[in-house]
Amino acid sequence: MESVAIGNPPTADRGLRQKGRERLYVVCQVAGWAFFLMVQVLFTGLFKEKDSTGVEWAIFQTVAEGLLITHYARHWLTKWGWKELSWRPLIPRILGMAALLSVIWSAVGYGIYYGLLRFPWSSKFHPAAVLSVSLFNGLALMSSWLCIYFFYHLFDRYNRLQIEQLRLTTSVKEAELRALKSQINPHFIFNSLNSLRGLIDENPDRARQAVTQLANLLRYSLQSGQLETVPFEDELQTVNDYLALEQVRHEERLRVRLDIAPGALNLAIPPMLLQTLVENAVKYGIAPRREGGEIAIIARCERDELHLQVTNPGSLAAGGGSTGVGLRNAAERLRLLFGARATLDLREDPPGRVVAEVLVPIEKESGAAAREAVAARSQHDSVRSALRADKPQALRP
Amino acid sequence: MKALLIDDERLARSELRRLLAKHPDIAIVGEAANSDDARLRIAELVPDLLFLDIQMPGDDGFALLESLDAPLPQVIFTTAYDEFALKAFEFNALDYLMKPVDPVRLAAALDRLRARAERPAGAPQFAERTARLAPEDKVFVREGERCWFVEVKSIRLMESEGNYTRVHFGDAQPQLFRSLNAMEERLDPKCFFRANRRQIINLAWIDRIEPWFSGGLLVHLKGGLKVELSRRQAQAFREQMSL
Repeated sequence: MESVAIGNPPTADRGLRQKGRERLYVVCQVAGWAFFLMVQVLFTGLFKEKDSTGVEWAIFQTVAEGLLITHYARHWLTKWGWKELSWRPLIPRILGMAALLSVIWSAVGYGIYYGLLRFPWSSKFHPAAVLSVSLFNGLALMSSWLCIYFFYHLFDRYNRLQIEQLRLTTSVKEAELRALKSQINPHFIFNSLNSLRGLIDENPDRARQAVTQLANLLRYSLQSGQLETVPFEDELQTVNDYLALEQVRHEERLRVRLDIAPGALNLAIPPMLLQTLVENAVKYGIAPRREGGEIAIIARCERDELHLQVTNPGSLAAGGGSTGVGLRNAAERLRLLFGARATLDLREDPPGRVVAEVLVPIEKESGAAAREAVAARSQHDSVRSALRADKPQALRP
Repeated sequence: MKALLIDDERLARSELRRLLAKHPDIAIVGEAANSDDARLRIAELVPDLLFLDIQMPGDDGFALLESLDAPLPQVIFTTAYDEFALKAFEFNALDYLMKPVDPVRLAAALDRLRARAERPAGAPQFAERTARLAPEDKVFVREGERCWFVEVKSIRLMESEGNYTRVHFGDAQPQLFRSLNAMEERLDPKCFFRANRRQIINLAWIDRIEPWFSGGLLVHLKGGLKVELSRRQAQAFREQMSL
């Protein structure tokens, strides 16, 4: 199955987005400072003092300086990773940074204006007063710039988080769906339907029975997915239905032997556990062999454990193209439910016979709980038990 | 048209038989439950058409086809639900039916088959053909997940790789489980030429020829492949072409 990495957009996409953001920054930076320049020019035009030489130059220099300082500041903000901070640690940093930038802004501004270009001091106020006003202006200007800058980034990050969250939810749902789908092998379903159609003319009674069995099997696999455990009896019933259908297909090639301790029937097991083992046994033990063979299902209670054994003819070395996905999933489910107390083991014993063995700890309460959960389920189940009750028990031991 | 049903399930075969009863021109000459059985039946009954299940005990349907000597009968695959097999079909116009078989689809597949069977006018019927492969005959090639029915005339070049032969056609070059010598015996010498120990070229695919070192020839095939002929082979080539 093809798997797609979810949550990580492809790098090409990321590169494209980076490019788009870079362009957006350039546009905003230039447009913002141009707007600021226009406002400055407009206001000085309105309130121009009579004898103010070099005012136009001062405005232009202020704006150009602001543009350059913020542009370089951006480089450092990225480098220090401020873009990834949340607003709480950002606020003091923004204030500090704004203060620092405004000092640089004022110092460089006055330095160039009076020091380098040697414009005469034209203000009637004391230089210290002018400088502090300038610093205050710078502080306001730089914090505005930083606020706009980080506001955009916070918003952008929030959006990305939302998308990520959605992706994650989707992927979880997909995984659940996949698990649900994989519970019954589609190859089996369609082959069964095909044999069933052949059976309609040949043996209508058996065909009718097979339809019921297939319905039971499908219903069980759809419903049991939501349960943690089911009573072993229910699972065994489903396995019987499944084997009866496989016998329609394989006829005398598939022989079944059941050896079930009565005490095992009420115990709790994960749904589709025995079914997985039996499906494997048919797939690798019966289907590839021209002469077919016998599948044995043995259930015993020993000490505090339920021993389940499914055996089929075959050898482990041959493999038969098995991917082991079914068994791996079963083992994983066991581990999640029972931890290290449950085991699943596949071995060849004696040679020519493959044994799949599961040990499940007996938990009296959980068995009873599973029973109650099943009993408490809605009407579907009363229909289901009704169907089950009048169904011929072809494979009961 | 003589048809052989190959499926490991008796009920599947009888269901197909029932469906084919509506097509009187398809005569079911036999059934087989596995590939070994099928090989015997094919040799014995020489069917024109196989209905072939893919998953069977023993050799699967693809392996059966690979083991058959060309020319192959027409093949319609039947499969229940097999992602792997369906992938193999994607590369080709191989005909396949999904089980349970839809009678309408079956009729369509048979119509295509009849149309195909009529096309090579004057070509000998399958049963009367000689051991040599005609240009319209098909060989079955499988490599990994991909399968092809290749018309012999579309093969540009065959290259020996030990017991295998690499077959160049279209934009693929899969390996065939036959030695080059075995292939040569089956090819028509009027259409194919043994260029050297390792290569056989299809004369119909020659683009141009240029003189090569020490009396040899360099043959350019359409599609960009180049094949060298030694002096001795160039001699034989000139003789054959001048006739």
